[in-house]
Amino acid sequence: MTPYISLKCARRAKSASRLALVAGLLLPCFAWTAGVPNPLQIHGFASQGFVLTSDNNFYGKSSDDGGSWDFRELGLNGSFRASPRLLTSLQLLSRRAGASSDDDIELDYAFLDYLVHSRETNQWGIRLGRVKNPMGFYNDTRDVAFTRPSIILPQSIYFDRARNVALSADGGQIYGEYRTHTGIFDFIFEVAAPRVDDLDTELALLGADRTGSLEDDVSYLARLMYERDGGRFRVAYSDLRVNIDYKPGSIDPSGPGSIQFLPKILSFQYNSEKWTLTSEIARREFRFNDLSAYIPFTEVTGESYYLHGTYRLTPSWETFLRYDVIYQNKDDRNGRKFEKRTGAPAHSQFAKDWTVGIRWDITPAWMFAMEHHWVDGTAWLPQRDNPDPLATVQRWRLFTFLVSFRF
Amino acid sequence: MAIYVTNTERKRPRGTNARAGVLGVLLLSLFLTFSANAQTIVVNTTVPPTAISKTAVQAIFGMRMRTWPDDTPITVYVLKTSDPLHADFCKNVLGVFPHQLRRAWDRLVFSGTGQAPREVSSLNEMRERVAMTPGAIGYLPQDDVDDTLYKLEVR
Repeated sequence: MTPYISLKCARRAKSASRLALVAGLLLPCFAWTAGVPNPLQIHGFASQGFVLTSDNNFYGKSSDDGGSWDFRELGLNGSFRASPRLLTSLQLLSRRAGASSDDDIELDYAFLDYLVHSRETNQWGIRLGRVKNPMGFYNDTRDVAFTRPSIILPQSIYFDRARNVALSADGGQIYGEYRTHTGIFDFIFEVAAPRVDDLDTELALLGADRTGSLEDDVSYLARLMYERDGGRFRVAYSDLRVNIDYKPGSIDPSGPGSIQFLPKILSFQYNSEKWTLTSEIARREFRFNDLSAYIPFTEVTGESYYLHGTYRLTPSWETFLRYDVIYQNKDDRNGRKFEKRTGAPAHSQFAKDWTVGIRWDITPAWMFAMEHHWVDGTAWLPQRDNPDPLATVQRWRLFTFLVSFRF
Repeated sequence: MAIYVTNTERKRPRGTNARAGVLGVLLLSLFLTFSANAQTIVVNTTVPPTAISKTAVQAIFGMRMRTWPDDTPITVYVLKTSDPLHADFCKNVLGVFPHQLRRAWDRLVFSGTGQAPREVSSLNEMRERVAMTPGAIGYLPQDDVDDTLYKLEVR
């Protein structure tokens, strides 16, 4: 018990020192403002969801008769334009989602954004601090219900299992935009240390709470996006290289090792007045180096895609239909090889999810949404809500509704 | 290519004849109902007259372009998303749908990479705020533009 607690303390201390560094960077920027009208903006959101499942647990004990109310998202952010070119932004986030997210207040992002060059046809700048990872269309605002196309994002790509790795990272970004008469090209390049020092990431990557710990290593992200006709047509390519080191514990069957997570995402969207069609396709490559004591393979590539159609009945009512697929290993789509080798169920290696939903924007500040999933497979079930893999059920249904407020 | 800034010199003549007034109201309502180009982009008189493209105007109202060429910060004013005049402006002047613009602002605001536009509740407030705030931009029906503002013609 003790080693785990001390490890947790060490993790806390490390995050605290990072926080102090970020705060130190940000404070001087609030000290002066150079002729910017209304430089400060405060925004926030609060969402409460309910989840009921036929089998398996998602965001709490959802398979109990009464369902689960353990799904909450609260956020508060401030942005301050200290000078025409300097923007400082910070967001605090508190999230409850079953056993994995625990209501703790965390620093979601905090950075300085300096616009180095700004012209009508192009601009570029840099961001320093804790930045959001701009993967695909939705990752950088994944906890804000208003910005999602559904209550639960397509889990094949935006899976919650290792969410901290994807969420935000400490480092820097260079961003830029090139505007032509046919549209806007937009790029972001990021060098940062991912957030990996938590139990969920360890569960997702190493299968259990191992005696050692995961440590961040320098990681890279790039996203290129093209938007035509003010966003009527959007296409993006995201490429991520996450480097994580494994530091063994005192009595550890494994020596030091490392993990590379290399997802690539292609994203498409078409917007018309009534319709929005979105599709994202991902290929996720994992490499495990010197971790054979815990992971039975050295390399595995997963594949995901979804197709999502939204139809707006009126400006305040919309419905959607989505088909979402994930394969943990493209060379073992039905999971039979995995089952033979590990004894865990084959259906933990895939998930095919049909979803229908409806959303009502009651006022610009209030929103209500409801959706139903029919799922074949358990690949994206949160492990901490389903500790026994053998007790999970292959074919299951999920119903959820959510009320959200923002300002 | 060029958007240029012109000073709107004319004030609307005030009708004294009741019949002309009624006719005017009828014509105005017909105009508002059928005209696709009722809205025009207006800017504060400090905005430098520079050539910028329609894509740049989309970038400004999409809150992605933060400064004018002379480094003056851009302050964007809009009506409420639910306002029919806002929808008309988005569709017919910017060439985007109001729902797209709203999502684009939300993405910036909640990822910390940008700020939301300032919302005003009436055309009068729009005119006053844009006239008062250096670097401000907004939109008004043609007939509501007076000489406290510059008109921005998009080409």
